[in-house]
Amino acid sequence: MTKYAMLIDLGKCVGCSACQIACKIENTVGEGHFYSRHETVMSGTFPKVTYRYIPTMCNHCDNAACVAACPVGAQKKVDGLTIHDDAACIGCGACVAACPYGFTMMRDPKAFDEFASTDELIEGCTSSGAEVAKESGAPVPYGNFKVTSESLLMDAGKSEKCNFCKHLIDAGDDPYCVHMCPAGARIWGDVEDPESDIAKALADSDVSVSHPEYGTSPNVYYVGKF
Amino acid sequence: MDRRTFLKLSAATCGAAALAAQPLAAFAEAPGAVEDVSSSSGSSKGSGKWVMSSCQGCTSNCAVRVYVQDGRATKVEGNPNAKGNHGCVCPNALLALQQQYDPDRVKYPMRRTNPEKGRGIDPGFVPVSWDEALDEIADKLLELRDNGEAHKLAVAKGRSTGIADVFHKALPEIYGTPNRFSHSSICAEAEKLATGALCGYWDYHDYDMLHTKYVIMWGADPISSNRQISNAISQFDKMHANAKIIVVDPRLSATAAKADKWLPIIPGTDGALASAMAHVILKEGLWNKEFVGDFEDGFNYFGSGEPLDENLWEVYGKYRGGNQVYPGGPSSSNEYWFDEKYTHGICRWWNLELHDKTPEWAAEITGIDAETIVEVARAFATQKNKAISWISPGVCMTARGAYTGMACFALNGLVGSYEAEGGVMRSPSISTGHLADMYAYKDSKAKKGLKKAKADQRQNFDFVSIEKGESGHNQNTNRVADAIISGEPYQIKMMISYWNNWAYSCTGAQRWEEALPKLEFFVHITTNASEMSQFADIVLPAKHHMFEAWGFVKNKQNLYGYLSVEQPCVETLFEARNDETEIAWALAEKLRDKGWSKLYDYYSIECHDAYGGNRPTNAEEFGQSVVRRFTQPAWDPSAAAGGDDIKKWSDFLKNGVWNSDRMTYKKHYKDFGTHTGKFEFYSETLREILLEHCNSYKTDVNSLMEACNYQARDGLCFVPHYEEPLRHGDEGDFPFVFSEHRSRLNREGRSANLTWYQEFKDSDPGDEAWDDVLKVNPSDMRKLGLKDGDEIVVTSPSGSITVHAKGWEGTRPGVVVKCYGQGHWAYGHVAAVDFEHAKPRGGNNNEILPAEWERLSSSTARHGGVTRVAIKKAR
Repeated sequence: MTKYAMLIDLGKCVGCSACQIACKIENTVGEGHFYSRHETVMSGTFPKVTYRYIPTMCNHCDNAACVAACPVGAQKKVDGLTIHDDAACIGCGACVAACPYGFTMMRDPKAFDEFASTDELIEGCTSSGAEVAKESGAPVPYGNFKVTSESLLMDAGKSEKCNFCKHLIDAGDDPYCVHMCPAGARIWGDVEDPESDIAKALADSDVSVSHPEYGTSPNVYYVGKF
Repeated sequence: MDRRTFLKLSAATCGAAALAAQPLAAFAEAPGAVEDVSSSSGSSKGSGKWVMSSCQGCTSNCAVRVYVQDGRATKVEGNPNAKGNHGCVCPNALLALQQQYDPDRVKYPMRRTNPEKGRGIDPGFVPVSWDEALDEIADKLLELRDNGEAHKLAVAKGRSTGIADVFHKALPEIYGTPNRFSHSSICAEAEKLATGALCGYWDYHDYDMLHTKYVIMWGADPISSNRQISNAISQFDKMHANAKIIVVDPRLSATAAKADKWLPIIPGTDGALASAMAHVILKEGLWNKEFVGDFEDGFNYFGSGEPLDENLWEVYGKYRGGNQVYPGGPSSSNEYWFDEKYTHGICRWWNLELHDKTPEWAAEITGIDAETIVEVARAFATQKNKAISWISPGVCMTARGAYTGMACFALNGLVGSYEAEGGVMRSPSISTGHLADMYAYKDSKAKKGLKKAKADQRQNFDFVSIEKGESGHNQNTNRVADAIISGEPYQIKMMISYWNNWAYSCTGAQRWEEALPKLEFFVHITTNASEMSQFADIVLPAKHHMFEAWGFVKNKQNLYGYLSVEQPCVETLFEARNDETEIAWALAEKLRDKGWSKLYDYYSIECHDAYGGNRPTNAEEFGQSVVRRFTQPAWDPSAAAGGDDIKKWSDFLKNGVWNSDRMTYKKHYKDFGTHTGKFEFYSETLREILLEHCNSYKTDVNSLMEACNYQARDGLCFVPHYEEPLRHGDEGDFPFVFSEHRSRLNREGRSANLTWYQEFKDSDPGDEAWDDVLKVNPSDMRKLGLKDGDEIVVTSPSGSITVHAKGWEGTRPGVVVKCYGQGHWAYGHVAAVDFEHAKPRGGNNNEILPAEWERLSSSTARHGGVTRVAIKKAR
C-alpha cells in the first residue's frame, strides 16, 4: 500500500513564504484563499524572545474529519492523501466545519474578481484586470490554466483544499511547494517504502505533528526548530 | 457580464491566442532560447517552454527560467545552470509574475493635460501615440540644445540592466549634459566606501558560507533581503550546522530569529560594539598572528589597555621604514617591534581608537551587556580566518556610517578572514563588452554642455562623493531634489527617467514633490503610474525586464561571478517598450528626423553586432545587438573569460547564464589594492582621498569632518572608529528612536501593488497582512495607552504618517520599528487604498525620515535611528 506523507524541517525553513506563493501559482489559488499556509508564534519578553514560523497545509489525516463529515464522498483517502473531488462536491460545507485545523475552505467567487474588473486607474491609459486577462488569453494571466481550468470555471460555493499537488505527483514530479522551497525544507514520499527518504527520515528523527490531541493522525510531519 | 460568463469567454479566447513570442533573432544564428520541456523536475507538464532570464527583484540578480504557456508566463524558477543561486529563487522572483500581469500597468504613452502638478491633483493624463509622445520629447530636447542649455537635461535611472549605458550614458554624453543619475546612492554605496577604505575593494563582498565557523551579521538579514537571498536561504542551514551565527540588529529579523544569538543593539551604535570587540581581541592577544603579525618579542603590549608610547613611535617608526612597525618597548636598547604582515597600522588604530574602548564603555552606549561583548569577541577571534564580520546597509547607510562600516568590517582584518577559507571574499572578475568611444559623435554643443558642473552637487565641499576610491564621483541622488528646488548650481529644466520613483523611495520624499513641478518637462518611463509619474508631462509604458525585454545582469553569489541574460519570452502587453533599447532607438530616430542625427549615427554605426558586424536597422535588432556586444566574453570563445565554456550565442541563450570559475582564496594577498597594498587599519587610502579633496578646497580634514557631520578629528579620521549616532529631533518632543527595515517581499520597493505582497506581508516578523504597522515594545504601548490595531500618527521633524500600532517584543523599549514598502499614495489600486484621491495604504517611511546623508560617499542615510518620532493615537 502506498501512503504518502510530507516532512517539513523547521530548522531549514527560513519563513520566506515561497511555498505559499508557489502553491498559489501551481494551483491558481485566488486572493484570500490558501492551500499552503503558515502560522507565526512570538513568545517571551524583550530581549529573550523567540519567533517561530511554521508552514502549514492540509494534514492529510489518517482519521480525517472532513472525510467522515462529507455526505457524498467528495473528500476521500487516496494513497494516504485526503483528496477533494471537485466534481462530486455538493458545496454543503460539512468538511469546512469538520476540519479542526480550519484548512478546508469554501471557494469564494470573488477570489479572482481582480481579473474580472474593468476599472481603470487612469481611463484609457492604464489597464484593468479584465483587460490584462483578455490580452494574456487566460482568466488569470499567470494562472496555471491547463491544470486548473476546471476548478476555476466551476461554480462557486464548493470547498477547496490542498490536494498535495496530486496532478504533479501522478506525473512523477514533486508537489510544487516542495519543488520551490529555496531552503529545501520539505521532503515527501511513500512512508510504506522503507527505502524512501521520508521513511528513513521519520525513523531517524524526533518528529511531531500539528495538534496530536485532535486524534486525526496527520501525515504532515515536522522536525527541527525554526 | 457576470463573472462566470467572463471566465468562459476568456477560456474561449485562450485557444486562439498566439503562441509564445520567440526570442528575436534578426542576426546570423537561429534562436536557441526556447527549449521543449521533456523533463521538468517538479513542474507541470504541458505545452509550455522554459526561457532563461534574470530576476532584478534585488541586486542579487539571480538567474531564472520562465515557464511560458500559450504566450503567458506562468512560472518563475531558479535557473538550474546557475552556480550563484544554483537553481533556487527567493519569493521575490515569484512575485514578478504579478508585476508582469499587474492590472494597473500603463498601456500607452500618456500626456498630461493639467499643467498644475502636485499630490492629489489629477494630471489629466490622456493616451497618445508613441509618435506623438516622442515628437514632443524630441522637440523639447532640441529646444534646450539650441538654446545652449543641453546641460539642463538630466537622465535618470532606477532599476537598470547591464546594457544601461546604451541609453543612460550615450544619450546624455552625445546630447551634451553631464547630468545622469542613478538610484545607487540611495541603496548601499556607503558600504562600498567602508570596505574600499580598508581593503581596496570598493564593492560588496561575498562570503564563504559553507566553510565558516562564526558569523557576526551587522544589520544583515540575508535570508530576507539584499544581498544573495536565494543563496543565503538555501545554504543557511548548512552554514548554521558548522557555524555560530550572531545577529546585531535593533529588531528581531528573520535571520536574528534563526541565529544563535540576537544582539538587539540601540540603532546607530554598532561602531561602539565593533570597537569594543576589537579592543577585547587586541587586549587578550586573540588577533590572527599569521595575518596581522605580532610584537617581535611575542609580548602583548596591548594587554595593559593603555596607548603605546608615541614618542618612541616617531623614532623607530621612521627607522624601520614607516608605518608597519612600532616600538612598544621602553628604550632603544630594548626594542619591541610590531611586525605587521598583511595589515597596516594596527598600533595606530589601537592608540587612536581602541585602547579605551572597553566592553563596559560599549555596554552603556549599545545596550548590549559587557559579558556578551567579551564572549562574542573571544568566540569570533578564536575561529581566526573562519570568522566573518558581515556588514550591510543597516550599519553603513547612516549619517556617520562610513566609520561604522569600517569599524565592523575591520574585524575581518583582525582575525585574518579576509579572502581566506571560511571568510570574506571578493568576486571573480567578470569581463563584459562595452560601448564604442563616443568622442567623434559629440558636437560643439555637446562638448560645451558636458563641461558644466554636475547638477547634483556631488562636487561640493561637503559632499566628498567617493566612488571606487575617487572623490567627486559618486552621484548624489537624493540631492537632486534640493538642487532642483534651489536652482543650484543651475536650474535643471528637463528630466527623462526610467524605473525610478524618487518621490517615494528617497528619504525626505516631500522635497521631491516640491522639486518635480519645477521641471519644465518631465518624462517618466515606468510600468505603473507611480508617485513620480504624477508629476510627469509624458509617461511612457516600460517593458518588464524579466519577461519582455533584452538585457543582461552580472553579479556574484556563492563565490561565483556570473552573467545572466534577459530576453523577451512572452507577448508584450499593450504598447510597452524597452527603456534601454527600444525607446533609446526610437528617440534617436525621431531626433534624426528633426535634423540632429548624432545619437542615431552612433547607435546604427557603433552599436553593431559584436560577431558579424551587422549594423542594427531597427529597435529589435538594436536590443539584441547590444546584449550580444556586452556579453560577448561569455559566449564567444575568441573573447574567452574562463568559467563556463560556452561556444556560441544561441548556447548562451539556452544556458541563460555564464558562470565564472570559483573564486580562489588569498587572491590579492600580494596587493589588496590599497595605498600600501595591505589591509589598512590606518587607512592611508582614505587619508589620501580626503587630503586631496581638502587641498582642492584649500582647507583641512578637520573642517571637512565638521562640514560632513562627523565627530572625528585628526588621525581618528583615518581609522575605523565609533561615532555617536546623528538623530534628528529632540528627545523631549520626539521620545522614540525610529528604525526601519526591509521586507523580504520588497522587490526594490516595487511590489506593494501585488496581492501576494499584501497577503504574505506577515512573513516579515511582526508585520501584518494587508497592513502597515509600527512595531512598538509592549511596555511602550501601555505607556501610550495603545492596543494592537490602533490607528496612530507617527511624527518626526520631517513629517507625519498614519499607520497602525502593533505591540511587539522584537524591539526594545524606546525604539520603534517599521518596514519600508507601504504608504504608496499612487502606483496602483492595491498599493494605494484610494488611488484617485491619493490615499495611501499605511505610511511611507520616507516621509518621516529626513533627507540626511553619509557625506563621504554622498549616500542616503536612512538607518541607524536617523530620526526620532512622536506617536499619537489618530482619533
